[in-house]
Amino acid sequence: MKKTTILSIVAVAFISLTSFTASAQKLVSSKTHFKFFSSTPAEDIEANNYKTVGTLDTSAGAIVFSVPMQSFEFEKALMQEHFNSKKFLNTKANPKAKLIGKIVDLSQVDFGKNGSYTVDVSGDLTINGVTNAVNEKATIVVQDGKIALNSKLNVTLADYEVAFKKGKPSKNIAKTVEVTVEANY
Amino acid sequence: MATKKKILKIALIVIGGGILIAVGIVFYMLNKPARDVQNTKTDYSYEASQIVNEYLTDAQTANDKYLDEAGNSKVLEISGIVAKISEDFNNQKVLLLKSVNDKAGVSCTFTSETNSKTSTVKVGDQITIKGVIRSGASYDEDLGMYENVIIEKSDIVSNK
Repeated sequence: MKKTTILSIVAVAFISLTSFTASAQKLVSSKTHFKFFSSTPAEDIEANNYKTVGTLDTSAGAIVFSVPMQSFEFEKALMQEHFNSKKFLNTKANPKAKLIGKIVDLSQVDFGKNGSYTVDVSGDLTINGVTNAVNEKATIVVQDGKIALNSKLNVTLADYEVAFKKGKPSKNIAKTVEVTVEANY
Repeated sequence: MATKKKILKIALIVIGGGILIAVGIVFYMLNKPARDVQNTKTDYSYEASQIVNEYLTDAQTANDKYLDEAGNSKVLEISGIVAKISEDFNNQKVLLLKSVNDKAGVSCTFTSETNSKTSTVKVGDQITIKGVIRSGASYDEDLGMYENVIIEKSDIVSNK
């Protein structure tokens, strides 16, 4: 009886301690930039988003980004309206896109030492309510205790049921777009 | 004969004029300038806590109410206490309006035109900003934290 009490106290203490340290190692982004870039012979289209929130768990190598889709700002208002519309990204129904990734080769990053580390990230990307697996390279830069992350994702729109079947957008928007990710923690 | 010519001339002018107008409209549509949020009528005025709690209570209903299908979402005036002042990668000022007891706040991003208006703002100030809503507040399980209501194209309405 006494033994179980002590054991449970130790267990509770251990769990609370580990969960505390786990939360202490989770960094929240201070600045982010997501850039959407599409290139076709007809035209280049770019949109920028500065309102994404991300976390980086340096002990588990977990990377999460929550992207508010209506924050993508285009040069032309009509493009922005197309992007948001039901036919394309349906941002009213799916206001956020999400990237959940894990650094596969976490052991080669030393978060305590200045340097630039190239890592493999694998995970899931959810856009327009559709989830697909992603595997991309990312660069983690450690500079005097500050951590930054850079990556580039190639997103095939059809995989996310974003289909530009007819009209001008089908000719002017690339089938695969480049999404550049930049985050400071 | 002369009247026939006259009719033909008028018809050509009308058709020509119509084509010109049509081309003009299409050209305008394709090159429509970005939405001028500050010169758009305010749809709703709230305290930061009110909109945060509305979203935390029922995000779906709130999204239906505030978000627009084409991204031209509601223009809001939000009053609250400045909890944090920062700057994003685009050198735009960001003010977080959040009261100490709330789980989330309202993150308001300014523009290159309105950035300078924040120069006198201090943490703890009670201010009112106007801007367009981009997304609501919610608890995100993957992030393990609450996300703020996002407002962009902000300007300061009053700073007491």
